Amino acid sequence: MVGRPYDCLANPLGAVRFTFEKAVSSGSDPASFNRSDWGVADLFREFLFENDGLSQVPILTPSTVKWVQPNSLVRFRGMIQDMLGNEFYVGAYKSKDTWNTNKFTDVSQFPMGSSPDMCVWERRLIYCVPVPGQNLWADATSDGVANTFATSASREKRQRDACSVYDEVEMQDSNNEIQDSPSAKKMREGESLPSEDMNVGTDCGMVMVPEFDRNNFPCLVKIYDSPESDLKLNDVFEFIGVLTFDTDVKDDKNGEIQLENCFDQEELVNQPPSKVPRLHCLVHRKLSPSDLIVRAPTMEPKPHLIKEIRQSLLRHLSVVLGDDDLAANFLLLHLLSKVHLRVDSIAVGKLSLNLTGFDKSSISVFGNRINDAVKNLLPFSQCIPFTVDFLNTASLAPVKDYQTDRLVPGVLQCAEGSHFTIDETELQSGTLNSNGVENTRLLKDLMEFQKVEYDFKYYKMKMDADVQILILSEGKSNILPADIVIPFHPSSASPSGITDEQTLNAWRWYLAIARSLPHSIGADMQKVVEDDMVAARQVDRSLGTEDFNRWLTMGRLMGVSFGETCLSHEHWQMVKEMERLRKERLK
Amino acid sequence: MVNNTPSRRSTPRRNTPRRNGSTPAVSTPGGAPSSPDHMVSSPIGNTFSSPPPSDTRRKRARRFETPPSHSRFAAASTPDDSANSPAYSPPPASSEGGGEPDAPSMFVWGTSISVQDMNAAILMFLRNFRWRDDDEEGKYMKAINHVIDTEGESLDVDANDMFEYDNDLYTKMVRYPLEVLAIFDIVLMDMVSRIKPLFEKHIQARIFNLKSSTSMRNLNPSDIEKMVSLKGMIIRCSSVIPEIREAVFRCLVCGHFSDPIVVDRGRISEPTTCMKEECKTKNSMTLVHNRCRFADKQIVRVQETPDEIPEGGTPHTVSLLMHDKLVDAGKPGDRVEITGIYRAMPMRVGQAQRTVKSLFKTYIDCLHIKKTDKSRMNVEDPMETEEGCTPQDDQGTPMDDKEQIEKLKELSKRPDIYDMLTRSLAPNIWELDDVKKGLLCQLFGGSALTLQSGANFRGDINILLVGDPGTSKSQLLQYIHKLAPRGIYTSGRGSSAVGLTAYVAKDPETGETVLESGALVLSDKGICCIDEFDKMSENARSMLHEVMEQQTVSIAKAGIIASLNARTSVLACANPSGSRYNPRLSVIDNIHLPPTLLSRFDLIYLILDKADEQTDRRLAKHIVALHFENPENSEQNVIDLPTLIAYLSYARKNIHPELSDEAAEELTRGYVEMRRRGNFPGSSKKVITATPRQIESLIRLSEALARIRFSELVEKKDVMEAFRLLEVALQQSATDHATGTIDMDLITTGVSASERMRRDNLVGLTRNIIMEKLQLGGPSIRMLELLEELKQRSINAELHLTDLRNALGTLASEGFVTVHGDSVKRV
Repeated sequence: MVGRPYDCLANPLGAVRFTFEKAVSSGSDPASFNRSDWGVADLFREFLFENDGLSQVPILTPSTVKWVQPNSLVRFRGMIQDMLGNEFYVGAYKSKDTWNTNKFTDVSQFPMGSSPDMCVWERRLIYCVPVPGQNLWADATSDGVANTFATSASREKRQRDACSVYDEVEMQDSNNEIQDSPSAKKMREGESLPSEDMNVGTDCGMVMVPEFDRNNFPCLVKIYDSPESDLKLNDVFEFIGVLTFDTDVKDDKNGEIQLENCFDQEELVNQPPSKVPRLHCLVHRKLSPSDLIVRAPTMEPKPHLIKEIRQSLLRHLSVVLGDDDLAANFLLLHLLSKVHLRVDSIAVGKLSLNLTGFDKSSISVFGNRINDAVKNLLPFSQCIPFTVDFLNTASLAPVKDYQTDRLVPGVLQCAEGSHFTIDETELQSGTLNSNGVENTRLLKDLMEFQKVEYDFKYYKMKMDADVQILILSEGKSNILPADIVIPFHPSSASPSGITDEQTLNAWRWYLAIARSLPHSIGADMQKVVEDDMVAARQVDRSLGTEDFNRWLTMGRLMGVSFGETCLSHEHWQMVKEMERLRKERLK
Repeated sequence: MVNNTPSRRSTPRRNTPRRNGSTPAVSTPGGAPSSPDHMVSSPIGNTFSSPPPSDTRRKRARRFETPPSHSRFAAASTPDDSANSPAYSPPPASSEGGGEPDAPSMFVWGTSISVQDMNAAILMFLRNFRWRDDDEEGKYMKAINHVIDTEGESLDVDANDMFEYDNDLYTKMVRYPLEVLAIFDIVLMDMVSRIKPLFEKHIQARIFNLKSSTSMRNLNPSDIEKMVSLKGMIIRCSSVIPEIREAVFRCLVCGHFSDPIVVDRGRISEPTTCMKEECKTKNSMTLVHNRCRFADKQIVRVQETPDEIPEGGTPHTVSLLMHDKLVDAGKPGDRVEITGIYRAMPMRVGQAQRTVKSLFKTYIDCLHIKKTDKSRMNVEDPMETEEGCTPQDDQGTPMDDKEQIEKLKELSKRPDIYDMLTRSLAPNIWELDDVKKGLLCQLFGGSALTLQSGANFRGDINILLVGDPGTSKSQLLQYIHKLAPRGIYTSGRGSSAVGLTAYVAKDPETGETVLESGALVLSDKGICCIDEFDKMSENARSMLHEVMEQQTVSIAKAGIIASLNARTSVLACANPSGSRYNPRLSVIDNIHLPPTLLSRFDLIYLILDKADEQTDRRLAKHIVALHFENPENSEQNVIDLPTLIAYLSYARKNIHPELSDEAAEELTRGYVEMRRRGNFPGSSKKVITATPRQIESLIRLSEALARIRFSELVEKKDVMEAFRLLEVALQQSATDHATGTIDMDLITTGVSASERMRRDNLVGLTRNIIMEKLQLGGPSIRMLELLEELKQRSINAELHLTDLRNALGTLASEGFVTVHGDSVKRV
């Protein structure tokens, strides 16, 4: 960091100001900066991605938030849970003949007073939460600045003795010459910052931070200069930006309640700023499943490599499923499925799986094994206990609460590519109330159309989802009609054995990569497929659109599972063979 | 300062240093010190002087103690103004004597708006704008007089009128609404006082119907202080907030009442000492609530309507500030169109804090609120023939879509509009063109007719789709439901009779009996889509009889006897009772629907899944394309859904076709011919190919077809197409498979004429055999023997025991034989 007039990590705002001043002095009119960038994003991109600064940026977690300094650079990984609209702020203003900017801050640096030259800019507010159902291995919080803490397993412990951690980090930080003590910072920044601000920030930083747990750690992200279509609801993003933790707003509540505050009051209810950290986003990037693998093998997706991994993964799945090879094959395709196209109401590419034939004893063995396997392989997975009680009480769909003006999350609000395991063996006969009926309808809609209806009270809005659904049931599930129903025939219950992290990572990487592969069909193959379908339909009139859709989806996934981008004759035959074997089992 | 008009909210522009060096001092040219009473502060904060047009105006103004006009913005003044620019005080208008002809031109600060010019322009507009050129009185002069007559408080001004009359004025108003509206109000006030000098109330202008409306998510900093128009849905209304306008204080010591103190920029300065000379106690003043003046205020939150939300976004909301009369103008759930001024207000971290948060709270000062229809399409009066209410309706309907209407009309002129609409209807369900045409007719609908005698002829077209599973019937239904003006989608399996019609329920709280509407009543003037019609319970189906012909739902229960309107088109679809349609059986046998109900459907389509390799191949191709190709490029030349809906609603609302003489003639001719077709010369059997119900259907269909073309006249070609549609449907459903002719009896009774003839023959044959073989009172004969005998004699060997049983049943009822179990005895 020598040679820079600012420290991107500890004093990102300094960098912002520096570039701003540079831009102004080079003759640009600050008023023209609206909705544009004067080089800040480029600067940070360069710092983060080219100079390998990213790994030094602490990830905001319940534990790190205790020691990360306000106004320093942090990153946050999460899902966009709600959008809170736009916010207008004074972007640039003139104070004593010099232009200043408020971009990336909450509080203006100088008293703005009666500055006549004032530009109002806007920024977007986005409410993020940790991705629902994120599995431990995909949780990036285990790595980051504090590489001293080895694995995720020790994280729980860390939380317990936060004090020692704090000390440790302090030590480490000072070693890195990132001086975080308030006095040092003040010195470096000169008298520019109102001192009370800084003190409040750090003093309260320790006291004010409420206890967060891993799954309840929201963050309010403020997005600048980014087109609306960039960020969508339920997308998983990594935001890198300036952390602020307002602690002083609570004064407002003590103050006399003014009529004008009617607007503010609403706002206060919504986002108690002392509870939710705020991030002024400098750089954001969408995370793909492969980004989540901590130590991803940096391999080229070469066909032979893919085939090898596929083979070992299939063997693993087969062991998990008690040597039921056919079911393992279907499970593999299921794990690779994703919605790749929507035509009207049809979601092309989904492949939900219904394993039937479970009873009380087998579910206890295989249910857990399947769950664990899925958990280890996919970044986001959840188990839904399918009981009457659950259906009657749970709130599956997100509901807009107009009192707080927030979208209250439901179970079905989840990131793209999430996996649900629904255990229907627990379902007993009972009465569903209206909530239960609604919930089953939601689940059914999700399975059929890959859409979730969000309840906005005065109207409902269907949002696209992309969720893999696995159902374990005794007989064929009629409540949740899956694309593939296959009776589960385990032949042994030998322990699945322990797999090392490296193999697991390879599998994770394989699933992530294969899922994202493009796929097409050649003209001659198209002809073969069509002929097969016509022939099949001549034999069995009950075959319909759904069956053909299933075949083609399977064909696509089969090809993809071998890392190929074009449907081959061989794979199509394999699909037909699998379907034949499945039909036999169903008899 | 006791000036009585609180200024409109200060704007950021106003937070600027002294303007042009002029002092806001008040002076009267006559030298007479102006008494506080004479001071009229300009409501336009930005003008440093605003010459009142005449002296009368000044006197008049005195009477308006607190003109409510300006109150609509007064509340918005923020304490920040005083904090940020404490030196600033609103420049009161100097009353520089009336009628000074060469007063220097006044400009609203920072703009090119000249106050005088504006004044004149507004005056011209109000005086001279006419709805039509030949109108005697200007539209707004009439409106002003009306407001005065009714003692109203506001004048609605259509911004479109203003745009037409004076483009420049409109532009200025949208760009500088605060200033222009203030002048507008003054002009109005002045005009009113000229017309009726003693008019006490203040009239304010409510602008609506701007040329362009903004989307809520596109509001950006450049819109601040501009006039905007938004559409949205009210989601929350605050309680009514009384906002103080004038405060009166009383001395606790001596009981002296202070003069009313007016709110100044959101604050009231409490007098520190008693004003009474004798008292002069310090800190003794207390607020007297019931002598203060309050105004209503309400904060309303409005959210984007679902159709404006982009993919993957959540709805945006915006706050509205409503004043006075606008309070409670809408309630949560209303869809509204708002015209107002977009404002931003700085937020402060805390009262005591020095730091100003660099944030703004934004809201809209509401000027005008209009409730828009909740439904996609204006369902009012689509098929009613009640005259007289339409002209007024037309004025109320948004004329803003003139452009769109032009476009629709343009579209309707295309020669291939009928085919194009057919193509656009559910474009991803291919084939089934005739079914789609039928559905199109249903969507457009015929005209209802009410005769003087009270007889009703429905205009709704009912359609039944019968077909094999997997022939996208349900998809069609869903699609129509999406498109229909109002409609309910239900499944026959889950519907009960009361669920479809109406039922009486006891309100759990009040114990009152209330009438709850069911699906059919709710889809009044719309389309009720019933899936799985065949699975509906007998009970539920039976009440459809009334709905489908009389278009009402009658209920007589728990002391409530009511007849509810259910002018709904029914679109039902059913699966054959066996899983597949059996072409050997009649429709009735296939779907197990009572013939009486079946005959109430105008069109019955059979959608059969034929074991046809061609279709299979097409299906296979379609699915392969779905998975591997970009489906977008396969669609072409179709009308998108919103346009389709707009087209539909416009046609239903505005087009009421009538039969031309030529068409009527064609109808008669065609009907007679259809009837005649049943009479085969030389054949004894009489086949009914058409019933009076069909002619009604035909009229409805041809009316709908004319409507599709936006034509007020049903032409011959419409009738011919209607005949074709009916015939296609009949051919599918009412064709007697034994003879290949159309036989309405199949639908009306379930038994075709040829079948009836066959049965008659069988009865005769059986009778002959029994006559030959059995003696009166003699030994009985076994039924199987009889069957053998019959089979030998009849040419048609396809005889079943059931046929024989039926025949014997007929004979038994004649008293010719008795049947005991398996044996037959002649009596």
